[in-house]
Amino acid sequence: MSKLFVHFWQNFKEYFVFVSLIVLSLYLITLDSSPKIQKLRAVIFGSYASLSSIFTELFDFRNLKSENDNLRKTNAELMLQLSKLRQDILLITELKNSLALKDTFKYSLISSRIVSRQVNNHQESFILDCGKKDGVEIGMPVISDKGLVGIVFSVSNNFSLIRTLRNSDLSLTIKSERTGEQGILKWKENNLRIINVPKTYQIKKGDRIVVSEISSIVPIVFPVGVAYSIENIEKGIFNEIIVHPFIDFDKLKYVFVVPVVASKEIKDLELNFLKNLR
Amino acid sequence: MKYYRIIPFLIFIPVIILQINIVPLLLFNGIYPDLILILLVYYTIQNNQIFGTISGFIFGGLYDLIFGTILGSMMLTKTLSGFLSGYFSSENKRDIYLKALNFSLIIFLIGIIDKIIFGFFSYFELSTRLLLSLFTNSLFGSLYTSVLSFILIILLPNRRLIE
Repeated sequence: MSKLFVHFWQNFKEYFVFVSLIVLSLYLITLDSSPKIQKLRAVIFGSYASLSSIFTELFDFRNLKSENDNLRKTNAELMLQLSKLRQDILLITELKNSLALKDTFKYSLISSRIVSRQVNNHQESFILDCGKKDGVEIGMPVISDKGLVGIVFSVSNNFSLIRTLRNSDLSLTIKSERTGEQGILKWKENNLRIINVPKTYQIKKGDRIVVSEISSIVPIVFPVGVAYSIENIEKGIFNEIIVHPFIDFDKLKYVFVVPVVASKEIKDLELNFLKNLR
Repeated sequence: MKYYRIIPFLIFIPVIILQINIVPLLLFNGIYPDLILILLVYYTIQNNQIFGTISGFIFGGLYDLIFGTILGSMMLTKTLSGFLSGYFSSENKRDIYLKALNFSLIIFLIGIIDKIIFGFFSYFELSTRLLLSLFTNSLFGSLYTSVLSFILIILLPNRRLIE
């Protein structure tokens, strides 16, 4: 028996190794969301990010001048906006007081730099230089000055791995700001798309798309993008709407983590990807 | 102990850093070259099929863990790529396969399979347009990797064959 095995091993060892590793890979796919794998992932990408952050600084150095110019310009624009917003705040406070509403939106943002980004057409992810010690937790939304960037997927002590909107594994409940109609936003065929949109929906080109209040993943209404075109009009029972994001993901360097996780009560009731990660 | 077998794993770290920091500068219409595939195929030809299969498994696993892709997806893809590259590791033909044009052709063929398989793990909803998109990305992506590998293999000084 052992001779037979040795004979087979000597003649077909390449195939044995190949099939074993393929089976092991397929088995690991089923374990992707298990807590043990998440811990291992946090250790590995944390170690990698420590090393990579040194190089990222080197590669970013040459862009500093143009970035400074852009920041100066943005600063001036922001100053003008701030002046207008101050006036608006006074008006809003006055209105809120009169309606006896309580302002519940007080978040201290965790600022962060992108130290590494994965170039992939389907599953884009960033590594940020903030982690558990800064108060980052799995499931926290990540934003920039223009809108929602993604969701924290894994955290180590000093670094976080986020899935951006350009990741086919992230689905988000959104709505049209104008009509209030809800939909599911997904990264599909190299575009952000609202999928399975009933043909009766009134969303049209140019409508602002924001995160819906009923989203179990992102608990705050953040801007996402604008409706760009409607597809699948002629065939099928549903349309698809292509959304152009407000954020230029390729040029993004600095982001903010919002230290808030979707309500646990909602999370317990609804099925979402966070359940497996905690 | 054959120490030269550790070399690809030592090179893997700088290669993955280059893949992250340099490749975005080479991004063309969403198509990008795959430096890890070039490394894998090169060292598989230099060694043997089992070495390539195991290296692919390890490279893919590390990639999945670092970048949050589904654990096992890149692992399976690169294991397959390593295994297929092994068919070009024949001892008496290594020097032929490592010639620039032949090497880039091998990269092109394996790159197509690599990207198609990985694409299936990235997309769960299949449609005709999706398959077309997958095919386009695979074809042009592997062509880009192949062209880059052609340049790299020419620039590589004194390619030494391992006995």
